[in-house]
Order: sequence, then structure tokens, then C-alpha cells
Amino acid sequence: MTFQQAAEAHLDDVYGYLAWFTSDRFVAEDLTAVTFERALRLWHRFDPERGPARTWLCQIARTVALDHFRSERRRTRREELAAPPEQIDFRFGEGLSPDLEAALGRLSAGEREVVALRVLLDLDAGTAARVLGISPTNCTTRLNRALKKLEEALHVAA
Amino acid sequence: MSQRDLVAELRAARVEAPPEVRERVRLVAAAAPAPPRRFTWRRAFVVAVPVAAAVAASIVFTRPSHHEQTATPLGRVAGLPATVRAAPAGAATKELAVPSAKQRVQVVGTTLSLRTHKVSDGVKRAVRIVTSLGGYPVSVHAQTEGKEATADLTLKVPRGHVQQAMSRLAQLGTIVAENVDVQDRTADLNATDRTIARLQKRLSDLRAAKASKAQVDALTNRIQALQRSEAATRRAAHYATIDLHLETPQAAAPVHKGHGPLHGIGVAFRYIGIGAAYALAIGGPAIVLLVLVWLAVRLVRRRREEALLSR
Repeated sequence: MTFQQAAEAHLDDVYGYLAWFTSDRFVAEDLTAVTFERALRLWHRFDPERGPARTWLCQIARTVALDHFRSERRRTRREELAAPPEQIDFRFGEGLSPDLEAALGRLSAGEREVVALRVLLDLDAGTAARVLGISPTNCTTRLNRALKKLEEALHVAA
Repeated sequence: MSQRDLVAELRAARVEAPPEVRERVRLVAAAAPAPPRRFTWRRAFVVAVPVAAAVAASIVFTRPSHHEQTATPLGRVAGLPATVRAAPAGAATKELAVPSAKQRVQVVGTTLSLRTHKVSDGVKRAVRIVTSLGGYPVSVHAQTEGKEATADLTLKVPRGHVQQAMSRLAQLGTIVAENVDVQDRTADLNATDRTIARLQKRLSDLRAAKASKAQVDALTNRIQALQRSEAATRRAAHYATIDLHLETPQAAAPVHKGHGPLHGIGVAFRYIGIGAAYALAIGGPAIVLLVLVWLAVRLVRRRREEALLSR
């Protein structure tokens, strides 16, 4: 598989993961581009025998997203006092009810991340755990907790 | 809404990258160079195994074998004088024949090394044999150390019985080594006889010519010295000297068959094992410390990550 093929095949997955993870469309677009730039530099290290390209790209996307979160935290610490952060109206995807969109928005980044990997990208527990750097059991626990929160939020909204 | 419905709705969500992102990524991917030949362990293994085999084969087959190393000493043994015969360990050989001519004056010296379980008895019997043949022991040195015993005897036997003595002594044990040395002194003695006859004739001439007493005495002394030397030679020739060495059998040494073709590899693995043991002993605590540090760093990083993503 060439890099072009991998990029073409998994662009939507990476974008979707980053969009749900960051809950910011513009940030997700930027981070998607950064992810593929970094992936291109690291492509020589990719070993198809160790895992599929999608998992590898998600791992890079996660690192890129975490870097973004860190820099964003530093920035907001400086700027939060001067002006409150701007709330951007974001849609997680076509076909989701407004209640579910709102419930997803209320989840933490970590919870959205695990939902994106396990539900949106439909990764199995082992693969998602590898991307997250945790054990599969821990991954499943996080997913259940996030889904329960969503369920409760939807129940309250109903 | 049940959790199953919730998951189904989430899965139904379509998230597609906007066209501008798609174009941007396409541009990035277009800059990708041709994939280089990837280094894989399988590829490295395919190259490394034949190379290692070739190196090992060159080491194994070019190093001198043990048999070649031992060839030189064996060659030296073969080059020894014919009088020395080294018998194989544990194998009895026939004693050497002692060439003897009774009419001639010969100085005979023999050495005999025997291996016997009873060195002390061997000494006694050797002395008895020599005495029975009209000989006598000149010196006897016996030594015992643990289960090993040795004895060195110097025996004198009338020259006429030396062959018989050697035969009987050889029966005391297993012959390990044997040496016979015969020096014919007849020609020397004949020459001495002629010198004495010439000097005696000269002495009688001097007496007839009424020479000075000093001249006569000097000549007489010289004749007597020659006669004493001749007598000593004849006495020495009358007895043959037998140096007898007795020893207990040594513990059988393991038969060294030389090294097999894989000996070098075995030695290499042994040294690698020793090195690994040292590395483990020295590097073990360092590795444990590094692992602990790594675990601590991982824990801190994960905590920070969780805090970062909890918002």
C-alpha cells in the first residue's frame, strides 16, 4: 500500500476521529492536514505487519490532537482571563439527532475519543486500546461510561 | 433510548472530510516519494543467516584441527634413536634383545620402565632376580604418594646374564619404555695393549742402556696407569648396568578425540553465555531502575493526559 492509497482510504476516518475528539470542525480540518503531513514524514516506519494503516494514522492523529490540546490549554490559560473562549456551533455528523449532538458535546474529550474510535470507526477493543495506549479492559470501561453518560443525557432531554 | 439504539444512531452518523481538507491531503500525498526498500527483520534474516553460516564455516574449516597439532610431537617421537621404543600405554611389549659377544669387551647399559600395581613387591623381586644372576643393586629409590608409587633402581648384572635379567625383569609389569646401549671397547683395549707392549719394550731398552732412574720410574708409572685403566674398563664391561623404573598405572586419561566441526560455535556460545551472565549481573539493577523510571513517567504522562482530556 502506498501513502497515497492510505491517505485516500482513511481520510474520512481520521477526520471523523479528530472532529469528534476536538469537537471543532476547523481545528479538526487543520489537525487532519497536520496528521497526514506527519504521516508522510514517518511513512518509512509504517509496518503493515504490525497493524493496519488506519490504526497507525489514528495513533499519529491522536498525538497531533494531544499536542493541540496542550498548546490550547497554555493559550487559554493566558487568554481566558481577558476573554471567555468562543463557543462554536459544531455538528458531529449528518444523521444525528439534536439531542444526541448536544449530549456528545457535553462529553469530555477523552470520552468522545473512545466513542469515536469504538463506535464511529468501529475499531475492536484491542485496536482502540492500542491507539489510546491503554488496556482493552480499560478501553471498554471508558466506552461504557461514555455511553451511559450519553444515555442519561438523552433520558433527561426526553 | 436504549444503549443499543444509541450506538446504532452514532454508527449511522456520516462524517466526511470537507473538500478543501481532501484537496489539502491530496497535495500532501502527492509529495510522497517513491517507497524505498523497506528494512524488515525477515529480509535481514534472509541475508544474515547465509552470511553467518559462511563466516562460521570459514572459521570451523580453516582453523587447524587437533589432529594436525598433535602430528608434530608424534613425528618427533618417531625420529628418536632406534634404541628407544615407547610402548603404548597399557600394552605389554617384548623386551629388546641385547646384542652381546662374549669374546669382545662391551659396556652394556639398559633402561627399563615398567608399570605395575605393586611397586614395592616389584622392587623386592627385581633385587632377588639380579642377585640370583650374580648381580647386585647399586641404588634403590622408592617413593609413594597417595595411590601412586614409583621406584628407581640401578642394578649391576654380569654381562653374560643381562639378556636373562632383562627378560625376567620385564615380567614384573607392563613395559612402558626400554633402551639398550652397547659400546664396544675391544678396539680401545687392543690399542691400549699395544701401547703398553711398546712402552714395556722401551722400558727394557732403557734398563739395558742403564738410563736414569727418573726416566725408568716415569715410564713405569705410565705403564701402570694404562694397565689400571684397562683393568677398570674390563671390570666395567663385566657388569651391565640396568636402570629400572617402576611406577603404578596412572588414572586413565580421557581419550581426547579432538574437536568436532561445531566446537568453535560451542565455544562462542559459551563465551556469549558468560558475557550475558556478566551483563545481567551488572546491567540487571540498571534495567530494573530504568523500568521503574519508565513506569513512573508513563503513569505521570497518563495522569496528565487524562486531566487534559477530562474537560
